[in-house]
Amino acid sequence: MDTIGHGFEEAIRLIFAGDAEIFEIVGLSLYVSIFSVVVSTILGIPLGILLGTCRFRGKGILVRIIYTLMSLPPVIAGLAVFLILMRRGPLGSLQLNYTVAAMIIAQICLVTPIIIGLTYNMVKEKALVVNQLGMTLGAGRIQRLRLLIYEMRVGITTAVISGFGRAISEVGAVMIVGGNIKGKTRVMTTYISELKGMGNFERAMAVGLILLLISFVVNAALYHFQERESR
Amino acid sequence: MDVRFTDLKKSYDGRLVLDLPDGGIRSGSRTALIGPNGAGKSTLLRILAGLESPDHGTVHYDGKQEAPRQDITLVFQKPYLLSTTVENNIAYPMKLRGLSKAQIAERVDELLEELGLTAFKKQKSWKLSGGETQKVALARALSFHPKLLLLDEPTANIDPYTTAEIERMLLAISRKESITTVIITHNLAQAKRLCDQVLMLHKGKAVEAGTSQEVLARPQNEITRQFVAGELIL
Repeated sequence: MDTIGHGFEEAIRLIFAGDAEIFEIVGLSLYVSIFSVVVSTILGIPLGILLGTCRFRGKGILVRIIYTLMSLPPVIAGLAVFLILMRRGPLGSLQLNYTVAAMIIAQICLVTPIIIGLTYNMVKEKALVVNQLGMTLGAGRIQRLRLLIYEMRVGITTAVISGFGRAISEVGAVMIVGGNIKGKTRVMTTYISELKGMGNFERAMAVGLILLLISFVVNAALYHFQERESR
Repeated sequence: MDVRFTDLKKSYDGRLVLDLPDGGIRSGSRTALIGPNGAGKSTLLRILAGLESPDHGTVHYDGKQEAPRQDITLVFQKPYLLSTTVENNIAYPMKLRGLSKAQIAERVDELLEELGLTAFKKQKSWKLSGGETQKVALARALSFHPKLLLLDEPTANIDPYTTAEIERMLLAISRKESITTVIITHNLAQAKRLCDQVLMLHKGKAVEAGTSQEVLARPQNEITRQFVAGELIL
């Protein structure tokens, strides 16, 4: 209990003391997570809609693969990205391993299937009825697509927030491809892991509490949006 | 809008559900589609709405083969309202057609008043009862002055008071705007009250058509007679 209590005190001290290292780590964590979620959203929502509205051979297999990738273990994603980006790998010439870019790529691999899968499920549920409604009211193809996205807005927001939750809390993949290099690729989760290894439990707890606080703020914003839309 | 169909056929999984040699809906008429479940009424309505294509045959709307989507609408038995306010639901088809804000606001208010829904203008759609939902769906369908209004059991599962309100409004607006209306109903009294024409379908075929007075009061076909008398055994 002492460790948790001291961790809480340390967290408050770190936040208000303006600890430069902590701010840098929090900033990089947010940057990597937000960037990867934005890219994953741009990729995942159209792909989820396409998957939900198009019929093609092998769709069943593809959906199963996406469902599997939704629970892809981060270390596997990290390892795969590392092997592709390593010097002897297919994209080794880009020399991206142990950079922020590699961390973003690894997180995109983890987050995109979540957004595709959740969007696909919403489309499956809503597309037919919304499309028919649009047709009976005289909406063209693009207008029906816009209508579908409008009708899924709360679900899409939930999918994006779920992706963000996965990204911000992820440690295995960013550790493998980023290497937790101080001042370069160190993010909150990898820092917590290192602090724990060094026995600095109070500071690890403090960083963990900041991570939780960020997560709380993001989810509170989602809750506010959902409440506003359903009131 | 005058609607003519020729040699319409539609099958699902190899089962022929609609087989109409020829027929039509006269412009400005209100036609009741009656018949037992599985007669092909909804399939015909969906084909007329352009939601489905027939396997064979053609439909002409005022002499043209292509369905004029901007002038046709269909209200489902269980209508889907957009997850927004009543006002926005009614306004949506008019926004699609590029009407001005003032025109939209005027038409929304007019329809809300006609349906006794003025107090619900800012209400979110998911807070409405079944009857209110159906009224809003109807107002939305009528908002853009369609020429062909298709209704799939619009008052099924709705209380008699709301049913009467909906019927009153339907009659008033379809008469005032000369809207060609096709209504699927199992309520023969409603068919008599609302419609001047009746088309009786049975196993995908039209077994009798005529004025509602003729078909419902003095059916010439034995199947229609049994159906009207509640004696039809499927």
